[in-house]
Amino acid sequence: MNRRLLATVAVAALALSACGRDAEDSGPQQGEAVAGGNASGEITVWAMGTEGEKLSTLADAFMAENPEAEVKVTPVPWDGAHNKLAAAIAGQETPDVTMLGTTWIGEFAKTGALDVVPPELVDAKAFFPGAWETGIVDGTSYSVPWYVETRLLYVNSSVAEKAGITSPPKTWAELTQAAKDMQAKGGAKWGIYLQPGQTGAWQTVMPFVWQNGGDIYDGEKFVLDSPDAVQALEYYKSFYDSGLSSRDRLREGETEPKLLSGEIAAFVSGPWNIGLLDELGGEGKYELWPMPSGSGDFTSFIGGSNMSVFKNSKNRDAAWKFVAYLMRPDVQVKWYQTVADLPAVQEAWDNETLAGDQQLKVFGDQLDKAKAPPSIPTWEQIAAGVDTELEKIAKGTTSAADAAKAMQSQASSIGTGG
Amino acid sequence: MSAPPETATNTAAVPATGGDAGTARRPRSRSLAGWGFALPFALLFLVFTAGPVVASLLMSVTDLRGTDLLDPFNVDIVGLDNYLRLAGDEKFLTAAGNTAIFVVVGVPLTMALSLLVAMGLNSGLVRFQTLFRVGYYLPVVTSIVAISVVWRFVLQPDSGLLNEFLGLFGVDGPNWLNNQTFALPTLIVMGAWRNLGFGMVIFLAGLQAIPKDLYEAATIDGARRFARFRYLTVPMLRPTMLFVAVITTIGYVQFFEEPFVMTQGGPLDSTLSLAYHTYNQFGFGNYGSASAMGYVLFVVVVLLSIAWFKLLRNNVD
Repeated sequence: MNRRLLATVAVAALALSACGRDAEDSGPQQGEAVAGGNASGEITVWAMGTEGEKLSTLADAFMAENPEAEVKVTPVPWDGAHNKLAAAIAGQETPDVTMLGTTWIGEFAKTGALDVVPPELVDAKAFFPGAWETGIVDGTSYSVPWYVETRLLYVNSSVAEKAGITSPPKTWAELTQAAKDMQAKGGAKWGIYLQPGQTGAWQTVMPFVWQNGGDIYDGEKFVLDSPDAVQALEYYKSFYDSGLSSRDRLREGETEPKLLSGEIAAFVSGPWNIGLLDELGGEGKYELWPMPSGSGDFTSFIGGSNMSVFKNSKNRDAAWKFVAYLMRPDVQVKWYQTVADLPAVQEAWDNETLAGDQQLKVFGDQLDKAKAPPSIPTWEQIAAGVDTELEKIAKGTTSAADAAKAMQSQASSIGTGG
Repeated sequence: MSAPPETATNTAAVPATGGDAGTARRPRSRSLAGWGFALPFALLFLVFTAGPVVASLLMSVTDLRGTDLLDPFNVDIVGLDNYLRLAGDEKFLTAAGNTAIFVVVGVPLTMALSLLVAMGLNSGLVRFQTLFRVGYYLPVVTSIVAISVVWRFVLQPDSGLLNEFLGLFGVDGPNWLNNQTFALPTLIVMGAWRNLGFGMVIFLAGLQAIPKDLYEAATIDGARRFARFRYLTVPMLRPTMLFVAVITTIGYVQFFEEPFVMTQGGPLDSTLSLAYHTYNQFGFGNYGSASAMGYVLFVVVVLLSIAWFKLLRNNVD
């Protein structure tokens, strides 16, 4: 896959004559305004996964409102999406609009290929604050949140009932106690399942850091070894040391049946797990708990996808108009009804379709208190280092303090790519 | 080419310049035609093979990152920095160690097993030979994704086939893929199983090429089964062995698919291979240092291939 990318870079690099980095210009930038009126002309859009397959329904509705515009949606599989975008940028063959995973924006914004979000296109305050921040790189907004997801605790109801738990735990201590009770009285083999390191474990553990008032990056330097963070890692470690969570990683698709059978009393996951559990006949057999809080708030992780427009788009204004259309509250509700993606726009949650659903309400409340990792191009690499250290904690081969120190020194040496 | 004698005398008679042009014209048009025929391949080769190779070599001496995609010349040349830094990169060293173990254990194991199977099939004692041949070759042509699903079922810690079987003997099998000690050996066995079919087919061809009368003569001379194997089969198979060894080694040094689908390099990086580590670095956008790793891998492959040639060069007559 990378070979094609290499080839693209290669042809250019062959003519290599003078190298050397220019000085970086910094400071927040303002986007250019978008002209009024209806959108017209061709708008090409790339979107990944289910969204890519179903986006044409919204595109059709957009074209009905803007008869002169023609939206062409290209579905891109998630697996190759990052490389495809990188190759498109290198070859200057980008579409007008693309969907981007929230953690990619730092990297692609730094290439200089993304257009700055025009002022007054959308209202920043209309979005969940954690979601809006994912589009901001060095103070400049490069992308608009489209849909969001956050993580909650999925709990086996009958196990919780047997353990005598009547309301969701609110603090760390209560969560530990709940897990203990579900193991001892509820009959679960594991009181809770927290992903023991490896890819993506940071999405489970960084919320602990945030819940304790800690952070990943304070705007100037990494703060992964702060006392708050160390405490959070110790809390994570305690679940393994006291035998509440398995030290062995479960494969995709293993957690759901184990939760429903009561082998695992609880796990942390996102909104897609509702569908997965219901498919296995789990409807009504599980409940959702919001995240607990340490010394800070009950923060969780926020993810999802954003929409960006490329700078060399030939139809920029129309492209942004399509993006603005997708963020209209009524369109966001329609999108939820189409693919069950949670709206990034808060107003959409007032619609009865969403407001009437008890399970969704827990997600909606949690989204108010959800954070994203810093939008820096090196985040994926730093996260991989964090995941490795988390695995060491989970396997019991390192202490929380040493792991925090290792995370901090790795992150600092990788830097923010700026 | 042979020119008629008249032309030669003519050439001597006419002024030197004219003669030169006369003799040079034909070869030039011929060589032009030659180049013309070679052009489609040469062009494709230059653009899609040599070009990227040279470019990645250039990349490996710069600090090119994913964020430089729009402006690949706007980078600093860092010389051998990317290479030197590998010596201090803990993950790289772990990956190198894992790859070394995989090659050192995996290659001989795979070769021994495929030779064994080939000799078994060649002995004529086995019924349904074709069936067995297809059976052993099947893993080679099966998608790694399908294989990984089946192997994961077999290796399940609680209910897997392997641990159930061990349980019959009262042995409590470990969680194979999640255990730091067993994960790499498990993948080695899996690699050997996957590649055994390829070696088997080649060895089978090599065995069938050994003249039967050599064995007859050896038997008359009183050579027993092992002596026949040691002093006849092995020397006669040397070129075949060299081929299998080189191909298997090249494949194993670039060991990637098994950890990618089975363990994602875990637990605790115990199955992280060099190729996997390089792949990750490309993913992180560190094109400069990832290219450097790629070149280290390339040099290792070349050196190991040379070593095999030295070791197994056909010096028997």
